[in-house]
Amino acid sequence: MIIEIWTKEKYARNEEEAFIARLAHAGLKVKTARLSRLYRVDADFTKADFSRIASDLLTDNITEHCSLTPGKAGLKNAYRVEVWLKDSVTDVVGESVKEAVADVAGKPPAAVRFGRAYYVPCASGLKLKQAVSKILVNEVVNKFKIEKC
Amino acid sequence: MQNPLSNFTSLSQKQLAELDRTCGWSLNALELAEVQREFRKMGRQPSRGELETLAQTWSEHCKHKTFSGPVSFKSGSKVKKYKNLFKETIVKATKTLDRKWCLSVFTDNAGIVEFGKNGKWGLAFKAETHNHPCAVEPYGGAETGVGGVIRDILGVGLGAKPVLNTDNFCFGYLDSKKKLPKNSHSPERIMRGVVEGVRDYGNRIGIPTASGGLYFDDGYLLNPLVYVGCAGLIPTDKIDKKVVPGDLVVSIGGRTGRDGIHGATFSSANIEEDTSASAVQIGHAVNEKKTLDVLMRARDLGLYNAVTDCGAGGFSSAIGELGSETGARIRLEDAQLKDTRIEPWEIWVSESQERMILSVPKAKLKKLEAILNAESCEYCVLGTFPGDGQLLVTHGDEKIVDLPMAFLHGGVPNFEKKAARRKVKIIDGAPLQPAKTYGGILKEMLAHPNVCSRHSVITQYDHEVQGGTVIKPLQGKYGDGPGDAAVIWPQAATLDLNDFAGFAVTHGFNPAAGKIDPYQMALHTVDEAVRNLLCVGAEISRTAILDNFCAASPRDPEVMGDLVLAAEGCHDAAMAYGAPFISGKDSFYNQSKDADGKEYPIPLSLLISATAPVEDIRKAITMNFKEAGNPVYLAGVSRRGLGGSVYGDMMVAGNNYIAPLDMKAAVRMYTALLKAIKTGCVCAAHDVSQGGLAVTLAEMAFSGGFGAEIDLSAAGREKGLSALELLFGESPSRLVLEVVKDREAEFLKHVKGLPVGEIGFVNEEPLLDVNDGGVQLFREDIFALKTCWKRELI
Amino acid sequence: MKPKAIILRGTATNCDIETFNSFKYVGAEPELVHINQLLSGEKKVLDYSLMAFPGGFSYGDDISAGKIYAVKMSRLSADFGAFIKDKRPVIGICNGFQILVKTGFLPENKGNAQVSTLYTNDCGHFLAKWVKVRINKKSPCIFTKGLPEEIELPIAHGEGKFIVEDKKIMADLTARELHAMTYSENPNGSMLDIAGITNAAGTCFGLMPHPERNFFAWQNPDRPAAAREAAAAGYQFFKNAVDYVG
Repeated sequence: MIIEIWTKEKYARNEEEAFIARLAHAGLKVKTARLSRLYRVDADFTKADFSRIASDLLTDNITEHCSLTPGKAGLKNAYRVEVWLKDSVTDVVGESVKEAVADVAGKPPAAVRFGRAYYVPCASGLKLKQAVSKILVNEVVNKFKIEKC
Repeated sequence: MQNPLSNFTSLSQKQLAELDRTCGWSLNALELAEVQREFRKMGRQPSRGELETLAQTWSEHCKHKTFSGPVSFKSGSKVKKYKNLFKETIVKATKTLDRKWCLSVFTDNAGIVEFGKNGKWGLAFKAETHNHPCAVEPYGGAETGVGGVIRDILGVGLGAKPVLNTDNFCFGYLDSKKKLPKNSHSPERIMRGVVEGVRDYGNRIGIPTASGGLYFDDGYLLNPLVYVGCAGLIPTDKIDKKVVPGDLVVSIGGRTGRDGIHGATFSSANIEEDTSASAVQIGHAVNEKKTLDVLMRARDLGLYNAVTDCGAGGFSSAIGELGSETGARIRLEDAQLKDTRIEPWEIWVSESQERMILSVPKAKLKKLEAILNAESCEYCVLGTFPGDGQLLVTHGDEKIVDLPMAFLHGGVPNFEKKAARRKVKIIDGAPLQPAKTYGGILKEMLAHPNVCSRHSVITQYDHEVQGGTVIKPLQGKYGDGPGDAAVIWPQAATLDLNDFAGFAVTHGFNPAAGKIDPYQMALHTVDEAVRNLLCVGAEISRTAILDNFCAASPRDPEVMGDLVLAAEGCHDAAMAYGAPFISGKDSFYNQSKDADGKEYPIPLSLLISATAPVEDIRKAITMNFKEAGNPVYLAGVSRRGLGGSVYGDMMVAGNNYIAPLDMKAAVRMYTALLKAIKTGCVCAAHDVSQGGLAVTLAEMAFSGGFGAEIDLSAAGREKGLSALELLFGESPSRLVLEVVKDREAEFLKHVKGLPVGEIGFVNEEPLLDVNDGGVQLFREDIFALKTCWKRELI
Repeated sequence: MKPKAIILRGTATNCDIETFNSFKYVGAEPELVHINQLLSGEKKVLDYSLMAFPGGFSYGDDISAGKIYAVKMSRLSADFGAFIKDKRPVIGICNGFQILVKTGFLPENKGNAQVSTLYTNDCGHFLAKWVKVRINKKSPCIFTKGLPEEIELPIAHGEGKFIVEDKKIMADLTARELHAMTYSENPNGSMLDIAGITNAAGTCFGLMPHPERNFFAWQNPDRPAAAREAAAAGYQFFKNAVDYVG
């Protein structure tokens, strides 16, 4: 199960602007972008368990909201970039979230991995890929995919 | 295909080299032949685990073959031979000086000097580099670099409590126009990643990152340098460690996984495009913090006899080192693993982060386990130290390593390296007169990447956690002036708020001078470090220093020549300043192929990290002007030459001469100045270094919110010195002092007969007005100067 | 008798020792207690008369700052609730403030729901610098009694932007002067420049700046010779707490 955590739009501007500025630095000019955090929780839990983990543990309900169906950014003509650490790389955040999930759910998940998603409306997926490679991902440690939303 | 290990002893030289490449060992032909000979003698074939162990133990990273090897140095027609360059220069100075307050030098994970008054504490200090990993994955490379050097401090003696982290970085210019080869990162990205890595690791583990430096030169475009250091406090009765036969081998902290395969051999090979993914890890500061908390409690309860860190080579090096006399009997099936898809020999050599090895008496294991559990720290008991001198490693029924320790630690062969003096053309005429005004040049210089404010980096670090950073990297009226040295009051280690003993830490670094004159560079670098310590009022007669050399390929005789000259400089400077080296490290092969396929080496880079005690931290001083009306003095003689200066980098200087340093005169002057500072008649001091005197004055002025009326006619200077050299030259052993106005007479008594001249006074009006014998050189608003200086680097 | 102060720890609670030293210096008898010791029943919070949540990066601040520590505390919320209700002084500094906010102990509300948050700084990253803060003299906060109107303290946090969504809660907070400390120049984007808040009794106080790092004048980045050897503003926070129970 992948849980996606969104910063509410009114609090997300700083983060988005910083990201847009870095894209521009890498040669890609865009006007908007949305960002989210992803937690892949590998566990034999019920939907209710996952919902509770998402809203009680992983989301700051003041500034964020969560979704159990990732990929809905509400942007037109956007690409979605999903970035994870490679499986061979120890996922430090994933490890500590795994412990916290066990505390909340009362049973430990098999694994938790932490990732990020970026939603960028732009004309060329290739250009986006180049920009992302320059500033965001390092294929030594990351795996990533880009797809049209 | 036949497994080459099954007939290892009969492989040809070519086949051995091929095997070495496939396995990524970075052993040379001589070393491979030696391994082959040994196994022929034993009459059997080696296992993969044994070869891996040897490759790790004999790697450049673990053995420092280049620096501690024989060198033949050719200078003109003269040839000088060294059997062991390191021992005959750096170690020799320490041995000759033979300071009583040096408690442990060159033997343990870090050097240790006495700290405080009653002989209760020692201060452990160590600096490391993590260059190659940072070039490949800046964030993870920097994190694991910081984690590694902290473990050096945790693993020195029976463990020191880290109270300070240091960081010094070298990057290519952020706006560099040079085309980069495929797969290399832009300097901007490397810098961002490295800063974030140091930030996230240091902040999370709760150690202040409070001293460091940042240096830009296009020589570092493909090979950035990341020096990380750590200082910690250790009770003097916890310095000795000794494994007792029968002790258990206990690994605490992180688990072992495939993520840490092949780091030690990696640092010996030039970076290639196909660098294996697993060579770089992401740091886990929280695991290391657990380890730290457990160690400090267990140390004070005496629950183990010895400890060391798992660094390069993983278990194989750490256990090999601890058990070098007793031997070790290890059962790898008992290791805590990250995942099960790992070969037994990989467990043995994996460099997974955040692990420490303890030697634990059987009777104390229970108590140790209670602490480990209380701190939620994972651990495993891997075996014992038997006392038979044999290293026997098994996994279930499978034998992984079965070798005598003596071979592991004694066998490495070494060969003579050729060194030659580099030819550099010195232009020693009068410098070219610039078209710009001095004020204009100063403004441009303040914005130069090697001069401008470092606040955008420093403020990302928690430089005050533990509450002991009393002289901060950013200081003065607005909390943003550039300090010369950090002063640490280690209350979090001593737990005593009524003990005012502290220590200062700073650095010297000047690769630009090294390109012209490596010997003088070494002298200047040590001088700069000592002078920085003086500026805060530290006891410079008790200076202890660390050397960290980074160089390109030692196969190039000129690279080796630079190293020889700098090492000789280190020796001479240590002797002159009475400052022993207590620990050091080196990193070679910092060169790569550029976009056109040409070799692109770094300049010789010597970082001197220095520390000295501060008797009463309440009396330490900062660099900003404090009060209008106070007289301003320049100490030291300004000498000719613009070699290695920031000015020389900015403009066509027409001169690259570097003035030789008179170390005796420097020591005499510094000793007198320290007395003056300690009696309280000096209220601010700042060294003259990057950018020269004009920059020093500007920084003191805008950090205090005061202007100054300066007339340099009383400034000591060499004959024929131009105004340009006076303002922007970087000749060494100079500093600017602000003297308390009603204690001027007292100050003058201290400096009688020394080249210390009054050059003006601090002014309420925020203007820096600099004249020389009636000629105005420039007159600038201090806030305008500050605006130029206070750039956001990232 | 010296009042016993519980200094709460967990993994990567990094400012525990200087907080311990500060309480000891002003006359308390501090003890470092790991959350594991509370969860196992080895120690009980109600055995102490003062409580501190020090700064740091508890459990790496993964998910969000203080969140995992807050989750671990949830099984003990009755004890913590009783401690606060009993008006025994509680101070949460930086990460400690984040924990108090995420457990819902601050701002005070009936169901201990999280009604506010400390979010990522506007600059987007960790920031360590000295700032000037104003002390709300009308606030019931016992920790800030007797301090001048403006003092200097260092901040060191990545998530310090104080946000209250519900306008009523915010109006109530200010009407009752529970915003005990505000920034003179807002470093992180906090609503109403809020740097620290208290409960109505004034006994439970959370703040982002670090008073234990400006405990003595020689810890100040500006070191005028004359003022170098005195206690500084931060000292008063701890002294007030000890005086209150003593």
